[in-house]
Amino acid sequence: MSVSINKKYFKNLILGTVLLAAIASACAKGSTNTDSSTDQTQTSSQSESSDPITLTLLAYDSFTPSENIFDDFTLETGIKVEIALGGDAGELVTKASLTAGNPQGDVLWGVDNTLLSRAIDAKIFSAYKTKNINELDETVRNLVTDDEVSPVDTGDVCINYDVKWFADRKIAPPLTLRALTSANYANLLVVPSPITSSPGLAFMLATIAEFGEDGWGEYWQQLKQNGLLVVDGWNEAYYTEFSGSSGKGDRPIVVSYGSSPPAEMIYADPKPDTAPTAVAALTCYRQVEFAGVLRGTKHEREAQLLIDYLTGVKFQEDLPLTLFVYPANTNAKLPTEFLKYSLRPELPLQLDPKLIAERRTAWLDTFTNTVLR
Amino acid sequence: MITSYRSTSKWLAVLPVVAMLTFVVAPTLNIFIISLNFESFAILTAQTTRSVVWFTMWQAIISTILVLLFAMPIAAMTANFDFFGRRALISVISVPFILPTVVVGVAFLEILPTRIHQSAFAIIIAHIYFNFGLVVRIISSRWQQINPHLDDVARTLGASKIRLFVTVTLPLLKNSLRSAGILVFLMCFTSYGVIRILGGPARSTIETEIYFRAMQLGDVSGALVLSILQLVVVGVLILLTTQFGTTKSAELSQMVFSRIRKPQTPGQIVLITSVASISTFVVVMPLVSVVRRSILIGQKINFSIWQSIFTDEEISKSLTTSLKYAVFTIVVSTTIGLFGACSIIYGSARYRFLNLLTALPVVVSAVTLGLGLIITFDVNPIDWRGAWLMMPIAHCLVAIPIVMRIISPTIRDLPNGLRDASQTLGATTWQMWRTIDLRIIKPALMSAAAVACAVSLGEFGASSFLVRRNNETLPLMISRLLGRPGEIIQAQAYAIATLLIVACVAIIGLVDHLGTEKNR
Repeated sequence: MSVSINKKYFKNLILGTVLLAAIASACAKGSTNTDSSTDQTQTSSQSESSDPITLTLLAYDSFTPSENIFDDFTLETGIKVEIALGGDAGELVTKASLTAGNPQGDVLWGVDNTLLSRAIDAKIFSAYKTKNINELDETVRNLVTDDEVSPVDTGDVCINYDVKWFADRKIAPPLTLRALTSANYANLLVVPSPITSSPGLAFMLATIAEFGEDGWGEYWQQLKQNGLLVVDGWNEAYYTEFSGSSGKGDRPIVVSYGSSPPAEMIYADPKPDTAPTAVAALTCYRQVEFAGVLRGTKHEREAQLLIDYLTGVKFQEDLPLTLFVYPANTNAKLPTEFLKYSLRPELPLQLDPKLIAERRTAWLDTFTNTVLR
Repeated sequence: MITSYRSTSKWLAVLPVVAMLTFVVAPTLNIFIISLNFESFAILTAQTTRSVVWFTMWQAIISTILVLLFAMPIAAMTANFDFFGRRALISVISVPFILPTVVVGVAFLEILPTRIHQSAFAIIIAHIYFNFGLVVRIISSRWQQINPHLDDVARTLGASKIRLFVTVTLPLLKNSLRSAGILVFLMCFTSYGVIRILGGPARSTIETEIYFRAMQLGDVSGALVLSILQLVVVGVLILLTTQFGTTKSAELSQMVFSRIRKPQTPGQIVLITSVASISTFVVVMPLVSVVRRSILIGQKINFSIWQSIFTDEEISKSLTTSLKYAVFTIVVSTTIGLFGACSIIYGSARYRFLNLLTALPVVVSAVTLGLGLIITFDVNPIDWRGAWLMMPIAHCLVAIPIVMRIISPTIRDLPNGLRDASQTLGATTWQMWRTIDLRIIKPALMSAAAVACAVSLGEFGASSFLVRRNNETLPLMISRLLGRPGEIIQAQAYAIATLLIVACVAIIGLVDHLGTEKNR
């Protein structure tokens, strides 16, 4: 009976699909192109209304400042802050690139120096020079040329080792990257993969900074011959395979952070007398994190105030014990507990963000071919 | 006659078609239009791509075969015998399906010998672990309805048990086996967490490559090319399997029976006890490791985490969010799934396109769909990207294909004789559907609801690509805590995981219980 009706029905269906897709894409294209004009009208309408403004702060999943840290900001400015988590730093940048001009939030926290060039090329940010700029550490301030973002914290990715393991066996722990290829440390090292983990990537960059573009591939070859274990993420490396933390794995040397020893102390119950892990200072790579105003925000001025707050002393002093990083603001005081157990290398390894952006894919290919295959 | 329903088919199709077009097809096309760059197709010829496709393919095929083999004896047991703890067993073995891989992956690493860490073997074992409960459900709910007199007839005619199974039971289970097989294949083909945690960094599937390209390299276009590849490969496979013999499984009798009976011989009792205890043991072992990690701090047993967990506001908020989304998912996905399944089966052959359309949410990679969603639903007045509704919608999208594949075999194999009889007695189409179809598919429907609930409680992939504010579900919270340093926080993550496991067992058990009660 219904052959003809069915045919019609299907025609309509196909038409509907095409129409829907067309509308959807038109909307999305329109929205990215017309941002400037609509933004202005929206900003003006916003300032007229008396409702309190709520800013959305986009951040990576491990962004965990103290619970009421933004209360002071709300008290001072009347602006509320809502934190929205969106995956790791790489995911944040990819999503922000796709929505550049019509962002999912107002401020983004957590682009690091390995992703900075990609983010700036995608025109994610709207430039703003924070009023705290002169208080920020000069060396990291210089990584940003046009004030697109402001540095907010620094940290180091370093070789960590299990103090007791080496003491029990009366073996000296490894102090340099070169040492890791020695037979003394065969089958002892576990690293997170640079392909899927940001400390893993930092460690790969450390070896490139140390041995140069010509030498690092051979270095990894030697690590591999020396029984290196590569795992997917930092969590697995540190908590499952590493012997010095709660997982009690088999391997006493791991790639982790310069601030891992204080984290071990602060979160331990009962607290041990000395930190169970230590850091090899000469193996550290400096990671810098930035925050910026997202281009296309409807609350540009308010977002700028939030950047000032994020770089200000009050917020910066909260960072060491919550995110286990060093504040970028040089006026911020460090807690004694943190100072006592964490290690701040004087001359960390570093690479130019532009060089990283250019060579990243090629380096990761090299890594895959030398180490993983 | 089933043809009485035929005219309803197009109306039933409306809801699933609209849902899929709006939340899957439109966002996917949108991101293709905006970000796809034709130069990126070059990666299809790369050597690495070829080895990735090959690995994805063979691990999925082997996993599927083994899952089916492993599930068969348990399905046979639960479909044929009524024993103490039978329903509890079905509930318990469904638990792995929902557990977040971040949690169980780590537990697995602890149990498996170091020798097989980072191997295809570990991946396959995990795939069996996560999926076999689902297969038992699908096959068992169909098997229960095979007329027991067929067995008697075959046995009287001198058929051996094996012959009975091969020539009578197996052909009747054909549709269920196909449905379950496709579903498991899809899950294994597109699996993500298991590959990353257990396969180690050297093993990648198309799905993990898509993630790596889009998120870590920022090469969205390259990622899209790979997701087209995934779509084509899986699409062809689904078409091939649904093209051949989507006919009704042969059924000699027109009545539906329940064949469940008490075990009679001591042999049967021993068999049941051993199969039940082995499968429970397998399910529980990694869970014990999760619980152990929640009470071990610095190698000492310490219950301090558990003392604070029930008063922690953040945790109770996540728990409430998770439960809310689960209810939403149960209602929406079983409704849409039921409509879709009925439309395909009642309608003419043309409606089979729905099979493919509704499989899309699982086949289009989570990354592609997630990115598509954030660039599609971004225009005022509905900037939905941060809206709480997006997350339960994502849960439903993942649940619908599974729900459909649980319900379909039962509807398809429903004997027409009953319908004929009711029509002869003057029942309207609606009366006929309500009193016959609905009543018979109810156990499968309840089973599907339980699985939908489970999917929602454990969903991690798609949710993790959406922006989360004030709406963190338990798996997202666990994963966030696991990524942070400090033994106490790690123990807390495992304590919440334990809570999630308990919640899952309780809810699945409850839904299963309600299902069987009402059916009596």
